[in-house]
Amino acid sequence: MSAIKSVFSDSKSAFIPYISLGDPNYDLCVDWADALIRGGADILELGIPFSDPVADGPVIQKAFKRALANPFSMDTILETTEKIHSLHPHIPLVYLTYFNPIFHYGFEKFAEKAKIAGIQGMIIPDLPYDTPETDELFKSLKRRGVDLIHLVTPATPLNRMKGIRDFASGFIYYVTSYGVTGERKSISADLEDRIKTTKEVFSLPVSAGFGISAPDQAKEISQYADGIIIGSAVQRIIEENGSNPSLCRKKLEEYAQSISGSLRGKNR
Amino acid sequence: MAKERNFTEKEGYFGDFGGRYSPEILTEALIELEDTYNKLRKDKKFQKDLEFYRRNYIGRPSPLTYAEKLTKAWGGAKIWLKREDLNHTGAHKINNTIGQALIAKAMGKRRIIAETGAGQHGVATATVGALFEFETAIFMGEEDLRRQKLNAIRMQMLGAKVIGVSSGTATLKDATSEAMRDWALNVSNTHYIVGSVIGPHPFPTIVRDFQKVVGDESKKQFKKENDKLPDAVVACVGGGSNAMGMYYAFLNDKKVKLYGVEAGGRGSSPGEHSATMLFGKTGFLHGTKTLVIQDDGGQVVPAHSVSAGLDYPGVGPEHAHLHSSGRVKYETVSDQGALDAFMEVCRVEGIIPALETAHAFRFAKDLAKELGKKKDILICLSGRGDKDVAEVARLVGLSQGDLI
Repeated sequence: MSAIKSVFSDSKSAFIPYISLGDPNYDLCVDWADALIRGGADILELGIPFSDPVADGPVIQKAFKRALANPFSMDTILETTEKIHSLHPHIPLVYLTYFNPIFHYGFEKFAEKAKIAGIQGMIIPDLPYDTPETDELFKSLKRRGVDLIHLVTPATPLNRMKGIRDFASGFIYYVTSYGVTGERKSISADLEDRIKTTKEVFSLPVSAGFGISAPDQAKEISQYADGIIIGSAVQRIIEENGSNPSLCRKKLEEYAQSISGSLRGKNR
Repeated sequence: MAKERNFTEKEGYFGDFGGRYSPEILTEALIELEDTYNKLRKDKKFQKDLEFYRRNYIGRPSPLTYAEKLTKAWGGAKIWLKREDLNHTGAHKINNTIGQALIAKAMGKRRIIAETGAGQHGVATATVGALFEFETAIFMGEEDLRRQKLNAIRMQMLGAKVIGVSSGTATLKDATSEAMRDWALNVSNTHYIVGSVIGPHPFPTIVRDFQKVVGDESKKQFKKENDKLPDAVVACVGGGSNAMGMYYAFLNDKKVKLYGVEAGGRGSSPGEHSATMLFGKTGFLHGTKTLVIQDDGGQVVPAHSVSAGLDYPGVGPEHAHLHSSGRVKYETVSDQGALDAFMEVCRVEGIIPALETAHAFRFAKDLAKELGKKKDILICLSGRGDKDVAEVARLVGLSQGDLI
């Protein structure tokens, strides 16, 4: 069983927060990661900034813009990841990255270095399963025991889910709503049924993300999802408080505690 | 275990380029579009409708003009112009929007969206929005809204909502990203009319197919007039739709030299040009694998051109393939060269060309001398330059006094 898969259990739902690496700089984002893990993160998603993030909403777009104001290099990304990993070696780290930066770096080299830095899974929103590069990347990651985590959306039909199945491991990232990342007030009515179907097709844990921000939403969805992914709401705390690092740390830790405590199995 | 899969041109690849690299939420819409288009392209009623609108609404076939004055002024090969500037709305863009609007209708979509740089694609989309009664939204970078105010006003008059995009460099690249985000949110009722031979499969194929009328007509007209084919064909390339449409008919005519002209901007440093073929590397942008201007970290570098329609840091994947196969030769012309050619074509031939096309003219001027008097050059005059007059006047320092 992969390190990621072992985080999930029937009795509790996992909390998976997200931060954009480099926002506002590469040193401080290590602090943010530390605060989130101390607050109860079970897996941490690390965003690699990209100039053209078409699957992201305004909060993460702005975070990437702030991050890219620092000199970008994949080696800095990998070094920062290693620092986070050395602080909390038992917490699985997952990259969320657009494909171009890793393709440009060379994905065999990237897979090798990411594994050494402590990465245990990859999410690539603009790399659908049915491309030649997925074939190659999947094999490269699999050799190193790194999971390729796929997105499934409300628009993904059953036949496509079955195609994705051959290339998916770790967990499934279920996109709760149409559109891009960002906080939303309402959650789709058929979410529970869709997640149930997804679980049946993949025989993998299914974590829900996109649009979740408040503890009560997280609590409700955690009744049937194996994990809760929160990106924009975490990133907004950094956007609003990043210039005051000690306050930002505190708010991130408190926020992580409030979400983690609300999840199925965590508040008992 | 992963199954072995075979990726062929049929699935949207052009050699090593193309494909479908879009967020999962859009994939079904792209598959639906591909399936619908594959049915419609063989459907007689669809082809009849398309032909009807081409003839009676766009005003096709557009003329082939022998540019006698330019030929004389440049003192070399004969210059022929394919007059896409004479189409309704003033550019080749309407060829594609009419076609895609008919597809959107067939799919039962009520809303259309588009990205636009110079605004010609935005105007063409707003036009078909009015004609076919779609709710229409156009995404346009704030910087381009400044440069292309006239077209923004035209879009609004045609009933479209114009949405300014301030993210990134506030130009075409960012308008494209924003249109993709809107599509992800509204994919069930909205069709995204991509304006060039870019984007995820099937867009590069669909747009090329709707634009190939330019080359098909040119070939027929040129043959009728000269009983031969042109020696060289020249077109400007941003995303590359007018060029792709023009080349397609000539790809197998190996004696016809094909040239694409990109924006050399104001220099060779990153951010100063849009010369993707010269400076781009293989990468992934806006759902396709193509040549992309990017830095050492794989971040997309903002492009620049005096022409809002050319400043895109990528290029259509079929162009990337034609470049790597050597079938088409890609060149650059600077901002200043384009401005000079713009003014020259206005004064010599009595035609105000789009600034995009002015790049093609500037290159053709040198080519005409190189080829000599016995040869013929066909230029795709992709659009008229009304939209550019205020910006050009500002850049060349024409005051109102000079104009009187």
